[in-house]
Amino acid sequence: MNRDARLWMKLMLIAFVANGLGPFGLKVLSERKLAGYQPQYLFYWYLGGLFFALLALFGGSFRVNRKEVALGAFMGLASFCGQAFTGLALSHNVPGYIAFPLTTGGSLFLVATAGILLFREKVGPYGIAGLTLGIIALVTLSAA
Amino acid sequence: MNPGYLYTIAGLLSFSALGVFHKLADVKGCRPSAINALLYAWSTVFSFLIMTAIQGDHPAAPGSVVWIAIPFGISASIAILALQAGIRHGNISTSWLAINLSSGIPTVASILVYHEAVSARKAFALVLIVLSMFLLWVDRSRQERRRAAAEAIADVQCCEKEPQ
Repeated sequence: MNRDARLWMKLMLIAFVANGLGPFGLKVLSERKLAGYQPQYLFYWYLGGLFFALLALFGGSFRVNRKEVALGAFMGLASFCGQAFTGLALSHNVPGYIAFPLTTGGSLFLVATAGILLFREKVGPYGIAGLTLGIIALVTLSAA
Repeated sequence: MNPGYLYTIAGLLSFSALGVFHKLADVKGCRPSAINALLYAWSTVFSFLIMTAIQGDHPAAPGSVVWIAIPFGISASIAILALQAGIRHGNISTSWLAINLSSGIPTVASILVYHEAVSARKAFALVLIVLSMFLLWVDRSRQERRRAAAEAIADVQCCEKEPQ
């Protein structure tokens, strides 16, 4: 497989900025006193994402195979369950300063561990330092 | 025990599973655009079902809600597509960190757009995010250099073995 470090960094910067902007809409919604429409907002948010995703898919071959359908369903379910369970935790009086650091920092740790142990990924000392600082940064930010 | 803590653990495991599925999709040779489309298709269905069946709500909303939601949803979809494409060229462990570190962006945007106060803790976290991204870049570049050097050595050894 051709692994390109520059291309990886470019794609990660795009993902970093675009993923960061994604949830900012919720802030705009609450600033405009429209927070009561959060369920509708989420539905149209996903619909907007689907619209772009279909455009990107039409750019290539529209055919999807069974593996893609199954994994897409599992990923959609995992994404949805993650948000729903975090919401349920908050509604059961788990403070945000515990729920958010645990779900973000904890998932980072588990995914990094899975990458190294299950998929035999090699992470150098700078990468481990980056991962450690990243987990500390996210825990600090979500507890702030 | 407060069931809220069990929900927190379930949330943690769900988000972790999502990261592992991203890697699995790459290992199984799934196309990033197909994975992105199916992830959003299923999520749209789930959010619609929750809104209508569980919350007893309906999709009708003021135009301003729709026009705020759609561009930010598109932005998130671009992110997932870039992440899934990026995993081909890097590790899930570091790629997952890069996408999660983006939670610093709404903080910066809130400071710039809504003039929110910057606490010392927030400022410290934002500096750590930049430092962390820089370290990931250094790590990835070093890996690439090592790989190129190993390939060059292998080429030289291959040429030496060939009969003259």
